Amino acid sequence: MRPVGIEAMNVFGGSAYVDVRELMEHRQLDTSRFEQLLMSRKTVALPSEDPVTFGVNAARPILDALSDAERNRIELLISCTESGIDFGKSVGSYLHEWLGLNRNCRIFEVKNACYAGTAGLQMAVNFVLSQVSPGAKALVVATDVSRYTVDDGGDSLTMDWAFVEPSSGAGAAAMLVSEMPEVFQLDVGANGYYGYEVMDTCRPTPDGEAGDSDLGLLSYLDCCEQTFQEYRRRIPDADYHTSFDYLAFHTPFGGMVRGAHRTMMRKLKKAKAADIESDFERRVRPGIRYAQHTGNIMGGSVFSSLAGIIDHGSFDTPKRIGCFSYGSGCCAEFYSGVVSRTGSDRLRGLGIEEQLGARRRLTMDQYEAALQANDGVRFGTRNVKIEGADEAARSGSGESSERLVLEEIREFHREYRWVA
Amino acid sequence: MTAQRHAEIFALVQNNIYEVLPDVEGREIKPGDRLTDLGANSVDRAEIVMLAMEALSLHIQRVELSGVKNVGELVDALYAKSHGQ
Repeated sequence: MRPVGIEAMNVFGGSAYVDVRELMEHRQLDTSRFEQLLMSRKTVALPSEDPVTFGVNAARPILDALSDAERNRIELLISCTESGIDFGKSVGSYLHEWLGLNRNCRIFEVKNACYAGTAGLQMAVNFVLSQVSPGAKALVVATDVSRYTVDDGGDSLTMDWAFVEPSSGAGAAAMLVSEMPEVFQLDVGANGYYGYEVMDTCRPTPDGEAGDSDLGLLSYLDCCEQTFQEYRRRIPDADYHTSFDYLAFHTPFGGMVRGAHRTMMRKLKKAKAADIESDFERRVRPGIRYAQHTGNIMGGSVFSSLAGIIDHGSFDTPKRIGCFSYGSGCCAEFYSGVVSRTGSDRLRGLGIEEQLGARRRLTMDQYEAALQANDGVRFGTRNVKIEGADEAARSGSGESSERLVLEEIREFHREYRWVA
Repeated sequence: MTAQRHAEIFALVQNNIYEVLPDVEGREIKPGDRLTDLGANSVDRAEIVMLAMEALSLHIQRVELSGVKNVGELVDALYAKSHGQ
């Protein structure tokens, strides 16, 4: 079987963040059990940042490292998002333009809540494996921005605000998929997928979120178990404890991942609490590191977790990583791949954590002002000029020289600009 | 004996609540108490549900136990599921 997987990847966490404990105190939420939630910071999308800017800023460093010939072999661009900016026109159309990709390229968007990124990755993998265009590459960009107008009313659809606002972030993960999987070589055919209809969390209106967070958590746990059982049906020797050196989880917030890992270890391995905790620290903790900077970045979340592991794990010898992706509604998948020293060195070269550390911290007043200003770029906005775009770009630029910002929406068309 | 079985499940859930929420240990739990009011966040609530399912060897989808409003309803649901209803 031909190798396939991620040739290069990057995660972008925006230009601004708030401290989650400060936000919870500001909202007068109960912080007595805050530590167990494993939250720290969350990205705040500014008006000059949208799913396009997040996606382009995530992908740009990957493309900058390619030759023109390599870049022109990108024949598939999949945008993966639940934060679409138009019912018809894809985020990918803007990504294609601003990343300067070859026009002989398929461009489309996929959606299934936070599972979208994995859906896009697997489609790209299958495109490469099919060999209908030998040597072609695919670019998969999972990009999401949270919106804060929760649709209240009705008893059954009440969100647990104590979790939603503090945990919802923004961010993007970009992955170049090819037959040269230097960063993450997928285990082909080792996939356990599982889906069914459930009304856990959703975005039923253009800018609103609704749902039942308890149901979402229970469904996440059910799927964690069901996807692994299906994976093991296909790979009978797989052992949850010993087959995977690290586990990358879709991370709504760290405490949920810790709960899921604990449940799996108790159920599958009859493990004791102390052993589970040390296993969590060793195999899972590196993967929630970036989520503690960004909050839940949705479609890109499992890849942010994977990147955290590749950046902060130990790869003196090749290591296998198990990935669990879950998207409300729902569909989930457990899959795996292998990371080597070369791939780890290559990803570390992008300085993801340095970029996250260079962002601007917003005060609560600045955060409230950002929420107000975001109202001006609601879904369906026809004309608006964005104030302060340069200010957004100045923060967190890290090593990269240029940042894309949204400058204006003119007759529904989004107009962007590079800012140094 | 159904009433006794029901009481056993209630005691089991009460112990699980004490385990997950050490702050309420020893406090009397009433059927009308909501887990949220006892200080449980959604991770805690899921943990309490799962500990009870495991103790009862209930092999059902966890989502089948969603939508309960208080401790009494959770015990009722666990009782019903553990008797194949």
